[in-house]
Order: sequence, then C-alpha cells, then structure tokens
Amino acid sequence: MSYTKQYPMQFTGRGSEYFAIWIVNIALTLVTLGIYSAWAKVRTLRWFYGHTLLDDRAFSYLASPMQILKGRLIALAALVAYYATSYFAPMLAGLLLLAFFIAMPWIVVSSLRFHARMSAYRGLRFDFTGTLGEAARIFIGLQLLLIPTLGLILPYLAYRQVKFIAENTVYGQTTSRYQGSLKPFWGVYLLSFALILLPLSIIAYGGYQAYVLQAAGMPKATAAATVGMYMVAGMVAFYLMLPVIIALIQARTANLLYNPTTLGPVGFDSSQRVRDLIWIYLSNLVLIALTLGIFIPWAKVRLARYRAGHLIVSGPQDLGQFTAGQQQGSTATGAELANLFDLNIGLT
Amino acid sequence: MRFSGDFFDGITSRAHPVTATLAAGQLCIDGDGIALTIPLDRIDAAPPVGAARGVVYLPEHRELHSADQAALNQLAGATQSNRPERWARHLENRLGYALVALAVSALVMFAGLRWGVPAMALLASHTLPAGVDRHIGEEALSLMERVSLSPSKLPIARQQAITQKLAAQCRRQACPPHRLLFRDSLLYGANAMALPGGAVVVTDALVNLSRHDEEVLAVIAHELGHVQHRHSLRLALQSIGAGAILVAVTGDIGSVTDLAAGLPSLLLQNGYSRDMEHEADVYALAWLNTACIPPRRFADILGRLDKDASNTSLLDSHPGTRERIKPFLARSGCS
Repeated sequence: MSYTKQYPMQFTGRGSEYFAIWIVNIALTLVTLGIYSAWAKVRTLRWFYGHTLLDDRAFSYLASPMQILKGRLIALAALVAYYATSYFAPMLAGLLLLAFFIAMPWIVVSSLRFHARMSAYRGLRFDFTGTLGEAARIFIGLQLLLIPTLGLILPYLAYRQVKFIAENTVYGQTTSRYQGSLKPFWGVYLLSFALILLPLSIIAYGGYQAYVLQAAGMPKATAAATVGMYMVAGMVAFYLMLPVIIALIQARTANLLYNPTTLGPVGFDSSQRVRDLIWIYLSNLVLIALTLGIFIPWAKVRLARYRAGHLIVSGPQDLGQFTAGQQQGSTATGAELANLFDLNIGLT
Repeated sequence: MRFSGDFFDGITSRAHPVTATLAAGQLCIDGDGIALTIPLDRIDAAPPVGAARGVVYLPEHRELHSADQAALNQLAGATQSNRPERWARHLENRLGYALVALAVSALVMFAGLRWGVPAMALLASHTLPAGVDRHIGEEALSLMERVSLSPSKLPIARQQAITQKLAAQCRRQACPPHRLLFRDSLLYGANAMALPGGAVVVTDALVNLSRHDEEVLAVIAHELGHVQHRHSLRLALQSIGAGAILVAVTGDIGSVTDLAAGLPSLLLQNGYSRDMEHEADVYALAWLNTACIPPRRFADILGRLDKDASNTSLLDSHPGTRERIKPFLARSGCS
C-alpha cells in the first residue's frame, strides 16, 4: 500500500450556468450604479470555488460583500483622486503615483493575505505570511533595477515573485516549501524575448528595404508604400504575438510555481501546456469579439476547467489530518487597490 | 426540513458526514459523533450560486457543506430575508430573466455612456468654478509650449491685424472671455484649438493657408464656440465618467478582454467630440452672420484643410467635411 494518493483537481461548472450569474451580476451592478459589484464579486467567486473540487470536496470563499464594498470604495476614491489630479494638477498626480509606488509592498502583501485568508478547504483557511520587507525588496528594489539592467533581471524578478508566493502560503498550520531554481525562468523569458523580436525585425527589415530602394533611385512614394506594407505586417504580427507570449509565460509560470512546491505532506503536479493555452486564448479572443462579449462566461469557464484539469495534488490517503492555525481577520482595501490598478499578483 | 452534508469543525480538516434538521428556529446537526444545535440567527447561509456546492457558515469558523441546493435555498430564506443575493438567485434561475438582464445591461450601458455621462459632465462643468478652467488651461498651455509649440514666426503686423479685427467684432457682439495666441507648431500643422479657460491657439500654418483674414476669423469663431460651451473641460470630465463606467463593468470581466473593452470607449470619445464640433459650428455660423462675414469663408478654409472631403463615419472625430460645410454655403443672413 502506498502512502500517498493522487487527487486530480476538478472543475464542474458549466458555461451556460455561469452565463446567467454573470449577466445578472452586470445588470444589477449597472442598475445600482456599481454598488452591487461587491455582491457580484462574492457570488462569482463562491461559484468558482464551489465548483472546484479536490477529493470531491469543494473550496469555499469566505469574504463578505460588505468587506469587498468597503475596500472597493477606498480603492475607487484613490483612482478618482488620481484621475482628477492628472487633469487638474499633474504635479500632484505625479506625487500620488510616487506614493502608490512606495505603498506597493503593502498593497501586494495585504492583497495576497486577503485572498489567502478568504479561501478555505475542508473548513481550514489558507494564510499568507510574506513580510513587508521581503515584498519591498522584490516589488521596489528589484523592480527599480529593471531599467539599469536593460530588463536582464526580469527572469530573476519573476523567480523571486513566484518564490515569495509559494514559500509563504500556509494551509491551516501547515507551512510550505519551495525548491524551484532560477534557471527555467531564464528559458521562459529568453523565449518570450525571441518571440517579441520577430515582429520588430519585420519592421526593421522594412526600414532597411526603404533605404536600399531609395539608394537604388526608386521614387519616394513607391519606397514609402513598401515600408508601409512591412510596418502593417509587423504590427499585425505584434498583436498576434501578444496572446502567444502571455500564454507562454502563464503556462510555464504555473508549472514553475506548483511543481517545486510542497505543502507539508502534499505535493503538486501541474502540467499546463503552452500550445493548449495559446489555442484557448486565441479562440476565446476571436469568439468574444464575434459575440460582442457574450462568450466571456464560457471563455472563463474553459480556462478554469483547463487549469483545474492540469493540476494533480498528491497527498496522504486521509486528507482529514490537517489542523487549523490562528484565525485572523483581514481588510479588502489592499486587494481591491491591486484589483483596480490591474496588478496581476495573484496566481491561480 | 432535513438534508445531509459534510460538517467541518474548523479545527481539523476532517469531514464529518452529518444530517442537518431545521426545526423551531434552530439548526440541528447530527451524526459521526457530532450533536449540535445552533439558533438560526447565529448562522450565515448565503443563497447557493448556480449548481456550485453550497456552504453554511456556523459560529467559530465551523462549516457545513452540502450539494442539496433546494434545502440550502430554503435555509437561506429562513435565516435572513432581505439579502440582495436572494434576489440575484431568483433572477439567475430563469433564462428569461437572464435575457432581460442582458438587454437591460446593454441598454443602460449605452444610454449611460451616450447621454448620461455628457449630461453629468455638463452639470459638473457648471458647478466647477471658472478658476478651475483657467488653471487647467494654463497647465495644458505650458506643457504644449514645452513640447509642441514654439513662438510664432508671423510678422507682428499680420498678428496685430487679426487680433484687432477680432477685438472690433467682439465690441459689436458678445464673445466669451478669451485670449488669442499665435504659435508655430510642426506637430499640429494648420490647426486651431481652444483650451480650457479661453486661450485660443492659432498656428502659423493655418494663417499661411488662409487667403483672407476673414477665413482666420471664421476658424476663430468656431473655436470661440468651443470656449463658449466649455467643451475642453466637459471632454475631460466625460472621459473620467466614461472611464469610471467601463472600470465598473469590466472590473467583473477580467484583464484578457481589457483590450477589447478599450475600443468602444475610443469610439465614444469620438462620438462626444463630434457632438461638440457640431455645437461649435452652430455658434460660428451665428457669429459670422452677426459679424457680416460671409459664412462661405469657413467653408473655403475647411475645404482647403481637408482636401479629400470624406463622409462621416463612426471613426471620424470631425463630421465629414462635405456635410459640415453645407450650412455655411447658404447665402449670408447679413444685409
């Protein structure tokens, strides 16, 4: 008898079911001038959590709509202040942006903490124990080094971010360990860099052609038309390449996050494939555009099903042996700030 | 009412298969060594969402999980009657309601962006003190002077002639408070713009393109229309408002689709400015008629500015020139 057992993660939600929830959420949000958005968020997450099963038991989302609403209002006030000052007093807007940058570590930590504490499985909450100092080193220190190192630090930055999240996630009392290395991150980002070079080189080649054609005595207008063609081709290639690169980074990062992580006796096997994710992203994008957005719920469900379907948890025969840690409250302000300013910190 | 589920005590991750019974304002949980009676006012039973597993939150971080949707819904009804989620649950369960929700969303969003935001901006522009306009205008002008404007290279005499003609007109008819500025600009080419607070910038290229000072005055009249209606302030306020609505809606949609969400806002921005161009044209026509300047002058310089006069399309910020100059081709109302 083996001591560990494989538990495949399952997602049982259906697109048509989510469509009704999604559209009612949007309608009520619009009719209530945005107030309902907090309830909408909670219902959406409860639905996604309630359909995510491990060992036939669902995850549960614990935040109350009032918590979310409070956080949202504070975050919205910050956004409005920023918008207003950027029109009426650009100097002040610059200061606000600086304050926001300085507050980054707090926003990151409190966002991850809120997300973890509001997530539970089998009645035990998750928690996040990352410190402000560590967050400051990663999200300010390393971020500032991006420009002087010409982006060469990017793989290291991504590695540290993943490590920060993986190492500090706690389930009940059970702490986690991360044993990943930096090297595979270099592979991901070098490949992304090569992919972004392709459309850029088309444009550069167009410029070179124009120079050659003009030197050969071709009229200016004809040369310009040739260059224009290359420019358009380059731009189209660039926009097609964006979802490809996003898919590459997300699939690889998910695998690099889960596979080297252990949570006490529990291990993970994430097997997301880049080409699958590229197909999902591109086809979702096309279908969302063709249906003027109606396909969005099905798109989100497809993605959730793919991600769950490619994560296998290995753990003890009996998952009932974990114990709870200290229960602590948390506010949603940081999480909602991160949300509103579109910081992608949370990894699913 | 009786239903089965898993009970978690919040201390360990062990699942206790239990039977829950709702009776006399209390929830009794029984089975696998658990025997609990909890008054209904101490439990939090949110209405289930779709067919997802439901959770009943009990005091002291204990949870009761169940897949019995009907029972959970009934329990939610018994605990707190006024939750907005009960409403939502009701709507979500019927396809007809969902379709109504779809229609309502589309309608409210369209109406809000098309008419609601401009109306709110107009209202806000009236409540904002005039000093705000001037302040923004000065900020904008000093930024443009650093980046894209340089001092005019026109002869002083020409500048003075135009300024004096405008001043003479403004003694005869009401003009909004304004300040006429001549600047050279490579970036804007032949152009004129009205900044918040009344600064009207005319580029050298525009003056050079004109064949008569009255043509320049006609363009300035159009810009005075923008000043009169405080268009630049309203446009700024509208883009804040439209941004807020789109954030509110797309906040629930997610980041992959943000790119697609930006497009309608761009179309709307252009729609807004098209309405404003029309308003300014109406002002200019009346102004020119009062000034006894043939409105043709505006049509002439506009035609020269826009050699290939195209028809109005959704993406144009200015209405198609041919359509625009039509009212200006009528005979002058001045005797």
